[in-house]
Amino acid sequence: MQAKLRDLLITNILAIVLGLVASGLMLLFLGKNPLSAYSVLITSVVRDGYTFADIFVKATPLMFTALAFAFTYKANLYNIGAQGQFYIGAVIAAAGSLLLQNILPGWLVLIITLLLTIVGGGLWGAFIGFVKARYNSNEFLVSMMSTYVALAIMNYLLRTFLIEGKAEYPQTDALAASVWLPRIIPGTRLHIGFVLAVLACVGVWVLLYKTTLGYRIRAVGYNAGAAEMSGINAKKLYILAFFISGALAGVAGFTEVNGVQHMLVQGFNPDLGAAGIGIAILANGNPIGIIFAAILFGALKVGGTIMGQMSGIPSSIIELMQGFVMVFVILSYFVRTWLENNREKRKLQKAVAK
Amino acid sequence: MIYLLSATIMMGTPLLFGALAEVIAERTGMMVTAIEGIFLMGAWAGFVGGYLSGSLTVGFLAAMLAGLLVAGLYGWICIYLKQHQVVTGVAINLLVVGLCSFLYRVIFGVPITPLTINPLATIPIPLLSEIPLIGQILFNQNILTYIIYVLAPLSYFMLYKTSIGLTIRSAGENPEAVDVAGINVLRVRFLTVLLAGVMGGVAGAFYSIGFLGMFTTNIIGGRGWIAFAICFLGNWNPKGAVIGTLAFGFAEAIAIYMQSIGNSAFFPNELFIALPYIMTIVLTISRKSFSVPAKLGVPYVKEN
Repeated sequence: MQAKLRDLLITNILAIVLGLVASGLMLLFLGKNPLSAYSVLITSVVRDGYTFADIFVKATPLMFTALAFAFTYKANLYNIGAQGQFYIGAVIAAAGSLLLQNILPGWLVLIITLLLTIVGGGLWGAFIGFVKARYNSNEFLVSMMSTYVALAIMNYLLRTFLIEGKAEYPQTDALAASVWLPRIIPGTRLHIGFVLAVLACVGVWVLLYKTTLGYRIRAVGYNAGAAEMSGINAKKLYILAFFISGALAGVAGFTEVNGVQHMLVQGFNPDLGAAGIGIAILANGNPIGIIFAAILFGALKVGGTIMGQMSGIPSSIIELMQGFVMVFVILSYFVRTWLENNREKRKLQKAVAK
Repeated sequence: MIYLLSATIMMGTPLLFGALAEVIAERTGMMVTAIEGIFLMGAWAGFVGGYLSGSLTVGFLAAMLAGLLVAGLYGWICIYLKQHQVVTGVAINLLVVGLCSFLYRVIFGVPITPLTINPLATIPIPLLSEIPLIGQILFNQNILTYIIYVLAPLSYFMLYKTSIGLTIRSAGENPEAVDVAGINVLRVRFLTVLLAGVMGGVAGAFYSIGFLGMFTTNIIGGRGWIAFAICFLGNWNPKGAVIGTLAFGFAEAIAIYMQSIGNSAFFPNELFIALPYIMTIVLTISRKSFSVPAKLGVPYVKEN
């Protein structure tokens, strides 16, 4: 077990370093010195509290979308539609806040909006689980397609009902300050949503590993046939797992709209879903690991933005870094299996030699 | 109406390229989940090659090479290193988005106006294109459309009537048997994935230099996934792929037509944009029996 954990840490760190090196090499094409680019990046991230706190701001929605993927992954289901569930959550958060902010006190609006995004994102996700359970549809395909439908719904609403008072751009009016999520460190953008995200990670860990429901979900993921034999209703679990998964991704919409943007803008955060999958994989599906992996991806985002502000480096460096890190992380899975097999072989040889 | 049907055939062309690529690869047990990335890389390489050389042929060759490289990376990780197909695909797709927008910037800087080139021209086939109705719809298309509608029956013949096709199908149904027959399962899978990469690259380039004459990073916008879906809905069969393609091509033609005539009060544009995706969901639900290749998505590990 100890050796396994050591392998996990070493190979993952190596994967991250290699991913950054590979993206650094790409900077050479632009005639930029990657070493100086990275050193400027690190010093500016650490020097300034606002920027440093932004890492955790960026990590917040990523934790939710990563949890969304990891949760169904444990049941051997693929929810790659977290992006769409996030959009649905964001639309509901913006609509709910704008509708209620002048009627009810701010804290009550926040609670109601949070609950609405949980239900909305959850139902949007549960639909995938439902068609999987009822019609044996391919959940991978349906979740993928539901993202594009969610995007179309968001664009439609932003062009019609939710469009700002001036009706100039496809975005909503700004939310009243009373329905902003409270900041936890003054002078930064870090809001209470980060705490919520960490709590969600811990909560999902407890749910998966310390409750009957979690046990059942993992049992279905491990061997659906055997789980069914032992009296677990797999179909019900599909729907429930996708509801929880969708709800988690939906809450990312709430924290982004009420915590960061304070409005809904067309086409914001288009890669939360994909990055969430990368984070879940980096963390090996472990909810606690997701906290750290999400903070790393948050740092990549903030770092990439700073690089983008430095002359001549395009902001697409963020996707490049994320993509390279993800590919190397997948390769690290192969290395780990290989190390593990070698260890087993040596053990076996020792045993035979005795 | 003639316009719509002709656009259906045209917009279906890249989808059919992608769907046939998926059918062949998935028959060996390989879901090519990197298809979206292969499309995008193809679109990028096609534009860059075409723009720099001034020749669309060079563009398409570059697109084939780019698709091949992405598929090669995907195939290597999934087939030889036996990693998960869905997860690997998602990672590669994200990487490709970064690569394309970064390298576009490296090559072209930040142009003030979007760079454009002249897309593929239509080639009316003599005599046939003069048949009323049908001529306009079927025989006044660009070269890729003619090619793919020749390739579709050929791929059907290849899959079901040749020994290569038998090997391909067996690799997805019963890889052990293929292995016993002395054929390298991994190589069969890898080669079909590479083939899918080449075809997917052409499909991607169709969007950039075959139709729009420009490149943006959201040019594909899920079309790779649609091709992936058509393969599923077409029951892993070239015939089904053609039928599925026509349906999706029609949906896309309607969307483009509706956008060109502006907004109507009852049916918002977004509905038509979402139509192909909604169609996929509805069709996945309504299709009862699928003949899924038995080992689809399962890496082949040779027993010692």
